[in-house]
Amino acid sequence: MQSVGLLARALEMAGVATTLTSWNPVIRLAKPPRATLTRLNRGATLGEPHNNIQQRRVLAATLALLAQDAPLDIVHLDETP
Amino acid sequence: MEIVENLTQWSDEFEGNWLKHYQETGETLWKIYNRARNETAPGLPGIDLSQSRLLLISTAGGYVAGEQQPFTAADLLGDYTVRTFPVDIPLAQLAYAHDHYDHTAVTNDPQVLLPLNHLQEMVVEGEFGSLYPEVISFHGYQPDVRRIVNELIPTVLGMVDKGKIDGALLVPA
Repeated sequence: MQSVGLLARALEMAGVATTLTSWNPVIRLAKPPRATLTRLNRGATLGEPHNNIQQRRVLAATLALLAQDAPLDIVHLDETP
Repeated sequence: MEIVENLTQWSDEFEGNWLKHYQETGETLWKIYNRARNETAPGLPGIDLSQSRLLLISTAGGYVAGEQQPFTAADLLGDYTVRTFPVDIPLAQLAYAHDHYDHTAVTNDPQVLLPLNHLQEMVVEGEFGSLYPEVISFHGYQPDVRRIVNELIPTVLGMVDKGKIDGALLVPA
């Protein structure tokens, strides 16, 4: 999990804006530039299998952060299994 | 700005606690594991999504079945290598080598971790400009932060043409 946050930092430092989504609150420790946090399950980060509406909703909310200047506080999404 | 603030201190604690215990017992004792902690985050200005090319990065351990070497999922010290595959690859061609999450969901519907079809639909619908042609894939079980900083991250940065990427979406497993 921490590798994602650290890679996001490295990409941002290299000039690439980043965003990520996670179900795991420990993601905050790495201090990524932009992130959403859900209450979804490990192994199903974007939503329940075949719940395309939920998966698209998580993606849209996470990608929308790219339009904002970083760093941002982590954005909590009300997404559950 | 550093990728990891106080990496030397992190390394000393890792070697003296988690790694020492693992080397002596073969056990991964997470209650003594020190996660990397940062106080500040880097930040670039926001981008215009409608004009942006986005890179997808996944830590699900995905690889092209029958063509690429699987990740060494059983290595309790982690696998820090990287695979790439085309963003338009049929999802059925992918397999997952990662022992640290339940594969039931991703086997049932790969888009829970690798949203290739969703992202292509979003391009068609104008939600962002385009997708970088390659997906970056690795195995997210990587307890040694030094190897993340010194092996994984330089490999990823060297694999992509940063001049052709405006933004990156990272999806952990």
